[in-house]
Amino acid sequence: MLRSAQLQYLLKESFAGFHRRKLTTGVTILIMGSSLLVLAVLTLATLNLALALERARTGIDIRVFLQEGLTQTARADLQPRLVSIPGVSGVTYISPEMALHEFSGTLGQDADLLEMLDGNPLPPSYHLQLTVEARNLDTVRAIRDEVAGWAEVEEIVFHQDWIDALERWTFRFQLASMIVGLIVFVAAVFVISNTVKLTMAASARVIQIQKLVGATNAFIRTPFLAEGALQGFLAGSLAMGLLAVAGVLLEGRLGGVVFFAPGQIAGFIGFCVLLGLIGSWSAMRKYLTLRSDL
Amino acid sequence: MFSRDPAASGPLEERSVIGFRHVDLVYSDQTALADVSFTVTNGEFLCITGPSGAGKSSVLRLIAMDAFPTKGEVIVRGQLASRMNRRKVPRLRREIGFVFQDFRLLEDRDVFDNVAFAQLVVGIKSNQITKNVMRVLTQVGLWNKRHRLPRELSGGEQQRVAIARAMVNSPKILLADEPTGNLDPETAQEIIGLLFRINDAGTCVIFSTHDHGIVRTFGERVIVVRDGKLVSDEKRRGAVDRKATITDHMYRAPAPGRQEKVHA
Ligand SMILES: Nc1ncnc2c1ncn2[C@@H]1O[C@H](COP(=O)(O)OP(=O)(O)OP(=O)(O)O)[C@@H](O)[C@H]1O
Ligand SMILES: [Mg+2]
Repeated sequence: MLRSAQLQYLLKESFAGFHRRKLTTGVTILIMGSSLLVLAVLTLATLNLALALERARTGIDIRVFLQEGLTQTARADLQPRLVSIPGVSGVTYISPEMALHEFSGTLGQDADLLEMLDGNPLPPSYHLQLTVEARNLDTVRAIRDEVAGWAEVEEIVFHQDWIDALERWTFRFQLASMIVGLIVFVAAVFVISNTVKLTMAASARVIQIQKLVGATNAFIRTPFLAEGALQGFLAGSLAMGLLAVAGVLLEGRLGGVVFFAPGQIAGFIGFCVLLGLIGSWSAMRKYLTLRSDL
Repeated sequence: MFSRDPAASGPLEERSVIGFRHVDLVYSDQTALADVSFTVTNGEFLCITGPSGAGKSSVLRLIAMDAFPTKGEVIVRGQLASRMNRRKVPRLRREIGFVFQDFRLLEDRDVFDNVAFAQLVVGIKSNQITKNVMRVLTQVGLWNKRHRLPRELSGGEQQRVAIARAMVNSPKILLADEPTGNLDPETAQEIIGLLFRINDAGTCVIFSTHDHGIVRTFGERVIVVRDGKLVSDEKRRGAVDRKATITDHMYRAPAPGRQEKVHA
C-alpha cells in the first residue's frame, strides 16, 4: 500500500527526469511525435481507403446481359438459377425498355440523341445483388466464370478494374502502415528507453540506496515507468495535435476524408503510452536485479 | 534503536540470527570465499578482519542477500538464502541496516531528508517519519545540523548520518563495511563507540575493518578471513571497556521513547 508521503515522492520523482533534462526530453518528444505523426497519417489513409473500399463493395454490381431472342420462359427460368448461386442474394430483371430509360437518364440533355435510333439496341439483363461476404473480387470472378458458361448469357459486366485497384491499394497501405508502425514502434521504444536510461544513470545512487533500505523493485520502478508513459502520452498527443492542425489547414482540399473518431484518438494515444512503458521497461532491465553493490 | 531487544536473551539456538555453513562464494572466475562457517547470535558484536581482498565485504554481501552462496548455506533471521524468494529480499533488508566506508549519502538532500528517505521508501506515515528521524538524529547528536547538506559535514558527521539512516527503520542487524576506513583515529573511535551503544540496545552489530589498532582495542569477537578462508574466530570477553569508549557527551540522547514498529 502506498502512503501519501510515498505517493508524493513518486510523483516528484516521475517529473524529475523532465525537470533535469528539459532539452533531451523535449527533443525526445519531438522526434517521437513526428514519427508517430507519420504513423498516424498512414493509419488514417488506410482507414479512408478501407472505407472507400467498403463503399465500392456495397455498390458492386454484376450485370448479366442475355442473348437476344430468348423466350419469356427461358428468361424466367434463369432467375432461380441465378439466385441459387452462392453469394447472390437477389436478382432484378431489367428489360430493354427499362435499360433504355436508365440510359437516357444518364445522358441528361443529350437524351434527344436516342430519338435518332430506330428500335432499342439494348439487350435485356439481370442485375445481381450480392451478399456482404460475396462482395470481393474472388467471389465476383467465380460468379462470372460460372454464369459466363451458360448458353443464354451474352456478356457479364462489373466494375472490376476499380475494385481491383482499390483492393490492391488498401492492401499496400495496410502493409506500409504495418511496416512503418513496426519501425516507429522500435524507434520510439529505443528513444524513450534512452532518455529513461539517462534518468536512471543520474539516479543510480538513489536506486542503490533504495535497494539498500529495502525498497521493493515495484517501488523503484514506478517513477521511471511514469516518466516513459508520460513521454509517450505527450508524443502521441503532439502527433494527434499536428494531424488535427493539418486537417484544418487542408480542409478544402481533402473533401470526404474521414478523421479519427474520439475513441480512435484515445486508442492511438493509449498505444503511445504503451510504447513509453515498454521503452522505460526495457531501460530498466539491468536495474531489476536485487544487487545494490554493497 | 537503543532499547533492548527481548529476543536477545533466549536459548542459544533461537538466538542465532546468522548462520554460515560451508559457504563458497565464486564470482564469475574469482573465488571470494571458500568453506566459511560461523554463527552469530542475537545481540552479538562481531568484528570481521583480514587483509584487502580477503573476503570481508563478501561476507557482509551474503548476509544482506546482495549475493547468494555458490555452495553451502547462509541463514539470516531464519531465512535460508538458497530458498529465499527473491521478491522477499527487500523485506529482509528492512531488518538490516548498512553502513559503508564512503557513507553513501544523497548529496542533493539535507541530513534530515537523507535519513527520512529510508522510511519514505518503505512506506512509513509522514508524521511518524518526522518522529523517528528526530529520534535517531538526536541519538547520533546531529539533530541541530539536520538542514545541512552532506558536504557541509565532517567525515565523522557524515558517517553518523549514515548510521542514523541505517538505524531509523529499527533493524535487528547492523552491517558496517569498513565504517572507519575514511576517518582519523579519533573520529573512528567515536564511530565505534556509537556502534557499541547501538549494540548495547540489542542490535546485532557486524563490522569489518583491516585496521589492526581497531581490532586490538575494540574487538570482542573477532573473525579473521584470509584468501577467502576463515582462519580464526575468537571471543575476547571482557577485553574491551565499553564504558570508556562511550564517553562522548554528544550521544547522551534523551531516553528513547517507545519504538515505532517499522513494518508489518
Ligand atoms: N563483483 C565482483 N566480481 C568479481 N570478483 C569480485 C567481485 N567482488 C569482489 N571480488 C573479488 O572477491 C575477493 C573478495 O573481495 P571482497 O570485496 O570480499 O574483499 P574485502 O576483504 O572486502 O577487501 P577490501 O578490504 O579491499 O575491501 C577479491 O579477490 C575480489 O577481487
Ligand atoms: Mg571490502
